[in-house]
Amino acid sequence: MKSGGVSRLTVLGFLGPAVLSLALIGIVPLAFAIYTSLHKYQLTNLRRTPFLGLENYQTVLSDPVFWDAMQRTMTLLVIVLPLQILFGMGIALLLHRPGLGFLKTLTRLSLVVPMATTYAVVGLLGQIMFNLKYGVVNQLIGFLGFDPVNWIGDPTNAFIAIAFWDVWQWTPFCALVLLAGLTMVPGEIEEAARLETKKWWTILRHVQLPFLIPGLTAILILRTADTLKLFDMVFTMTRGGPGSSTELISLLIQRVGFRVFDQGLASAQAIILLIITIVLSQLYIRLIYREVQQ
Amino acid sequence: MLKSTFRGLALGAAASLSLSAGPAFGWSLEEAAKPYAGTTVDVVFLLRPGYEAAEQMLPEFEEATGIKINIIKHPYENALGEQVRDFVAGGDLDIALIDLVWIGNFAENEWIVPLDKFTSDPALADPALDIDDFFPLVLNAFGAWNGTVYGLPFDNYSGLLFYNSCMLKDAGFDGPPKTWAELKDVYGPALTKDGKYAFALQSKRNETQSADSFARMLWPFGGSFLDDKFKSNLLSAESQAGLQFRQDLMQYMPEGIVAYDHAETVNALAQGDVAMITEWSAFYSTLTSPETSTLGDCFGVAPEPTGPAGRKPALGGFSLAVASQADADEQAAAYLFIQWVTSKANAKRYLELGGVPARQSVYKLPGVAEEYQYVEALVESWQEGVPEFRPRFAEWPEITEIVQEWGTKIMLGDVSIEEGAAELGKRMEAVLEDAGYYAGDKPLAQ
Repeated sequence: MKSGGVSRLTVLGFLGPAVLSLALIGIVPLAFAIYTSLHKYQLTNLRRTPFLGLENYQTVLSDPVFWDAMQRTMTLLVIVLPLQILFGMGIALLLHRPGLGFLKTLTRLSLVVPMATTYAVVGLLGQIMFNLKYGVVNQLIGFLGFDPVNWIGDPTNAFIAIAFWDVWQWTPFCALVLLAGLTMVPGEIEEAARLETKKWWTILRHVQLPFLIPGLTAILILRTADTLKLFDMVFTMTRGGPGSSTELISLLIQRVGFRVFDQGLASAQAIILLIITIVLSQLYIRLIYREVQQ
Repeated sequence: MLKSTFRGLALGAAASLSLSAGPAFGWSLEEAAKPYAGTTVDVVFLLRPGYEAAEQMLPEFEEATGIKINIIKHPYENALGEQVRDFVAGGDLDIALIDLVWIGNFAENEWIVPLDKFTSDPALADPALDIDDFFPLVLNAFGAWNGTVYGLPFDNYSGLLFYNSCMLKDAGFDGPPKTWAELKDVYGPALTKDGKYAFALQSKRNETQSADSFARMLWPFGGSFLDDKFKSNLLSAESQAGLQFRQDLMQYMPEGIVAYDHAETVNALAQGDVAMITEWSAFYSTLTSPETSTLGDCFGVAPEPTGPAGRKPALGGFSLAVASQADADEQAAAYLFIQWVTSKANAKRYLELGGVPARQSVYKLPGVAEEYQYVEALVESWQEGVPEFRPRFAEWPEITEIVQEWGTKIMLGDVSIEEGAAELGKRMEAVLEDAGYYAGDKPLAQ
């Protein structure tokens, strides 16, 4: 039996390993997470793992701690994502302007550094740099004549610090994606537009933006998913504290799953988070990507 | 019951002594280890001075026995999770490193082997084991659960008051405070000035908040986590007094104390930013080393201050126990290592290398008390501690998370002390209810 001139065996031979690997890496753990979420699955008491049905989900959905963590995560998302896009767009537009070739190349290379830095390292750096007494951030603030700020020990400041750090790390990603989008704009169209108007906003809105929509959609989906599961940086920097002020949803899941060892409840939390991520991604695609398809 | 187990262990050791004894009696480590030469023993170590000390001693053991000790290093915060996952999955660990609050969990899950299996084996038990030489409180708290001894104390701590004697002298004090009230009411105002603080209480939201901050203020004031029926005791007048004291004491601590872990606290004293801290004895070497501390001759150490209910200092530490999942050879080799590294004979060397042994005899050796300033305070603390300083049952990992969250909220003023204690107690009781303590499914052991 042939399919488009290639035997089914060949297709199976090429695709099979990839599909199998994906199934083993992605689907099996997901299925196991669903299984554990339906059971009492306390890692320190595996002799008793009764089937609970949807009880873990009920517990999660009625748990104020879960919703508080979700609210913090969403607040972070709502703060950092627009800032990253805004700053990223600004950088992309600057780099898109003609001239200063060498400097632009250097800037493009520098933009990769924050992204290439491991999340956990960023968090550890933050812990040191935002230290009340010895941190470089307070040193700089001191030069400007201000009193030192208690970044990590104050609930509001700690949240601001992680938001700042996330914006620092991921603005370059937005800038590079949007810059790639800008290079897709045909030169003659952009040139014609510039002859028509001197308003950069008009050019951006009517000429450049349509080419940026796919990139923007990708940014929205990737950054939303990344922010919803943001863990390493916050864990190493504040460990969710002080109090619960920076306990994002991923930190809560880790705490329940690996410090309280209630894998059933943690799995239910993770599945709910997965559903929320999928819904948001679909929303972005339908609302934004559709515009460019029409 | 515990006493009878200790007696059993002592008898076992005595029996083995009568059958085959140390060099003088025909028992030697080399001979005992011969059948297990080439065996590899996997053990988790922490990144702390006591473990570095043991690591330096290792080549001697490996050379004598042919047993290879494979050390897997983890920071404290990861050590429990890593070990639980290893034991659940039937992994490679042959020795369990047990914080005193993990012992109930490990024992109830049968991840560790009762010690008498080995001490009653004359081929393995060193006649010089002398189990009675361990501080009874330490052996009971770190190594025993529900009357059975599983592990031997290895990395041992007691809370001590470390202080900067020069700062105290400059403020007109001849010595450290004797009571918590004195620390707050007399030393606090006198030492908190010019950007310096009288005291720092490490309170970061992890085990530090539960053990070093919350529990430390309960016990000396007569409070506790649970009453004798395993109901929350946090709303008792004594517990409330302790928590109120902590809140009042915060005015003499650096800003952002809820973000202070051990490193920040020890560093604050070492750099002369605070005058006093209550920390684990294990940090003695950090505070006295010129490489990590500027204190020099200004360094001072004393037992923790007393409260209305006595001293009841913070108690913490680790034992080593043989893992059930290890095969017979690995178990025997693991036991030989545990016995050797915690032995009376090696205690002095362990001490010299930066460890804190739990052997009573080593602290009686000539010159030890003079050389190690903390000895007197440590020995005194180990007479007055409470094993259930933090409950040691299997549910502690769940309960400590609740304590960490609500203890921090109380300190930050997000909730009042009474509200926080009530909520904490409610959640703690829910965990215990679920575990079956109130239905009588489990004994009320902590």
